[in-house]
Amino acid sequence: MKTKMLTCLTLLLACGFGLFVFADSHEKEEDMNKLVFSKEKYKTMAVKSGGKISGVVKFDGEVPEMKKLEITKDKAVCGVTDKFDEALVVGEGNVLKNTIVYLMDISQGKDFDKEAKPELDQKNCRFNPHVQIIPVGTALTVLNNDKATHNVHIFGTSKNNTSVNKQQTKNRKKMRLTGAKGAEGPVEVKCDIHGWMKAWVAYVPHPYFAVTNEKGEFTLEDVPPGEYKLGYWHEACGTNNKEPVTVTVAAGGEVKQDFTLKLKEAK
Amino acid sequence: MRSKNVVYLILILGLLSVLNLTYAQDAPEVSEKGKEVYEESCAHCHGTEGRGDGSAAENLLPKPRDFTRGLYKIRSTESGQLPTDQDLFDIITEGMPGSSMPGWETSLSANDRWEVVAYIKTFYDGFKESETPPRQISLEGKIPYSEESVEIGKGLYTQFACFECHGQVGRGDGTSAPTLQDEWGFQSWPANLAQGWNFRGGNDIDDIYKRFIGGIAGSAMPMFEDPAFGLTIEQSIRYNELDNKVEMTEAEEEEYNQLDEKMGNAFEILDLMAEGSANEEQKQSYATAMKAFYEKSWHLANYVKSLSSEKRPEPAIGKNVLRSQYTESDLPQMMDAAWNTLDSSYFPLVGQIIIEPRQFNPTIDSVNAKSFYNDTEVAFLFTWDDRTNNTEVEENEDTGKTFEDAIAIQFPVKIPKGPTAEKPYFLWGGRKAVYLWQWKASAVDKITELTAKGINNAEEQEVQGNIEAKGEYTDGQYRLWVKRTLKTDDKKDLQLEPGVFVPIAFSAWDGANGDVGTKRVISSWYSFVLEPVPSSRRFIYPPLVALLSFGLLVGLREFVRQRNT
Repeated sequence: MKTKMLTCLTLLLACGFGLFVFADSHEKEEDMNKLVFSKEKYKTMAVKSGGKISGVVKFDGEVPEMKKLEITKDKAVCGVTDKFDEALVVGEGNVLKNTIVYLMDISQGKDFDKEAKPELDQKNCRFNPHVQIIPVGTALTVLNNDKATHNVHIFGTSKNNTSVNKQQTKNRKKMRLTGAKGAEGPVEVKCDIHGWMKAWVAYVPHPYFAVTNEKGEFTLEDVPPGEYKLGYWHEACGTNNKEPVTVTVAAGGEVKQDFTLKLKEAK
Repeated sequence: MRSKNVVYLILILGLLSVLNLTYAQDAPEVSEKGKEVYEESCAHCHGTEGRGDGSAAENLLPKPRDFTRGLYKIRSTESGQLPTDQDLFDIITEGMPGSSMPGWETSLSANDRWEVVAYIKTFYDGFKESETPPRQISLEGKIPYSEESVEIGKGLYTQFACFECHGQVGRGDGTSAPTLQDEWGFQSWPANLAQGWNFRGGNDIDDIYKRFIGGIAGSAMPMFEDPAFGLTIEQSIRYNELDNKVEMTEAEEEEYNQLDEKMGNAFEILDLMAEGSANEEQKQSYATAMKAFYEKSWHLANYVKSLSSEKRPEPAIGKNVLRSQYTESDLPQMMDAAWNTLDSSYFPLVGQIIIEPRQFNPTIDSVNAKSFYNDTEVAFLFTWDDRTNNTEVEENEDTGKTFEDAIAIQFPVKIPKGPTAEKPYFLWGGRKAVYLWQWKASAVDKITELTAKGINNAEEQEVQGNIEAKGEYTDGQYRLWVKRTLKTDDKKDLQLEPGVFVPIAFSAWDGANGDVGTKRVISSWYSFVLEPVPSSRRFIYPPLVALLSFGLLVGLREFVRQRNT
């Protein structure tokens, strides 16, 4: 008798668990291409004798030739410079530009640089920079240096940040877009009028984020001593959300951590 | 033993119902009914989880809405705001013209539609979490429709850069049109403003205005911003004038700089307002600038309204059949003004979904036709809107494979005797053959005569002759002129004579929409007739009949009167 009861209960539990897991896995699939943020609310504090994490991100694999973008309109303005698909920018020595490297699980540390004013430039119908991080709540200044009309279309994927799509005609040199309400990203930025114009912005909750430069280098400074998960995101190579690297930062110490990335597997 | 089993069963059911109860408590406003109606009527396209990925979604464009992101195109609310419940209810009730979303007014009760609204909202947490109702767009300061307002709006259409996507005259053929995508990465064609009956959210002036102010969320259509913010309408026009000048006098330059500065200041205030850090004075000038912006938007809405007829035109059947007009002189050439004296006959087109490969998402709405004939020849002028001019097969990484644009005009080989007699099968014939004129965008002056006995069974006629054509593409519209002799020596050709109703049908291909072969848009059979030459007898018989009937009536009256006395 008892066994029957137990079987029933187990079955029920299994069903419930199955449902739970199923629902969860669906969400995770999408999260694989996003940054990971700590669930705890980030607290700022003065960081004394913080450590430093730095390294170089490299690309592993055959480097494809950068695709030249076809300029389909406004050639007098947009056609002045050649433009390339910047999804994968590999420099000499296979160094990889535009990779976001960050601490996944930090919940307290230094404050943002209050002076920093994130800017997205539109010149000759190209967004610059291609990838950038914006502190949550900080406005993004969008510049139009073209004698052409653009529309700044920032995709929103969460309930905190619905998408923004604002026209910026040639008359408006500067436009400030009020900051996102929650951490998210990276999200795509597009100019629909000039369909080839693409960029990425990530709204981040703490300052321990870096984007690799032309030499593939990144540096995270003033990291409070401790053990952290180090994550990365790259447009074409994806994330290491499944297996982040653990680094231990000693007071005043410096940790070197390089990454080698491969292209995301095509779906 | 058995009774114990029953007890366990009850226990399990009990447990399950408790689980259900907890769910119901989480969302008390949502009923089982809403879920049931949704799953029966909506889920096939929108998916059981509301992701817009139902089993039918694959074949649809525009794609069914993904409800999980809270992005709704048609709203009465400001940019970045959620829709009101009424907005959702209205869309469910009325459907979205030009898309696969039907109106549910007749198939779902109002109560069921409200239940579905409540259920749809559960797919996006933002609805539950927003504490204030969405801000609605104010329609205050509406400028009534007038010729003057349309004229002002026309100027603003350029200044607001609408042409980038919607094209110079608004047929959705702007230079950015082919690359537009929505936020899900699906192709998203800009509206053809000359076909207001296909506007997803309706084509009242108020509807159009709301799309400007609120934007169309998730699509390429941005929230409007005044390109000459802070300037009055007069100043905007002046600024544009000066901006387009190659050389300015010193005085003009000063004027330009002043306007430019005024605008720059207004834009700065706009940013401050968005950040909530504007002072009283700035708020004041912001309000003035916004007032001018709303005025401009109303003028623009009036202009867009002016570009299309109020309703979809009546199709060319019954009293609307295509009537070829007799003329004694030579038939007009393609660009002759004589065409402007005729009204168009409207032939609606639909996707061909009978034979594989099918076209579920047609982009060509219709063909319009006019016709003249004289004693020996007939000429037609066909026009149809197509957002892109495709003259060859192209492979593009972003937009996919595109084909050549084309049209085919179809007649029966033998005209059926009488209106009830059987016509050939409307899809390029069957047992009974059809006679076709096929024209392709790559060879604008060439028309090919075909004979077909089925959609995949057409062949070029051996004898090509007695027929001329000229085609052209401008501003999102094809214009095709065809002239043929009324009679030919070829037995496979259609022979024409005045007063006889001739079945006519169309097939058209929009190469940018993947149309090729059987994948195309089609019409059913309509009619055209060479309107018989008005005879001079019309001046004799009708008055005669009138006179006779009058006499008869008078006689009858006299007769009745005499009988009564």
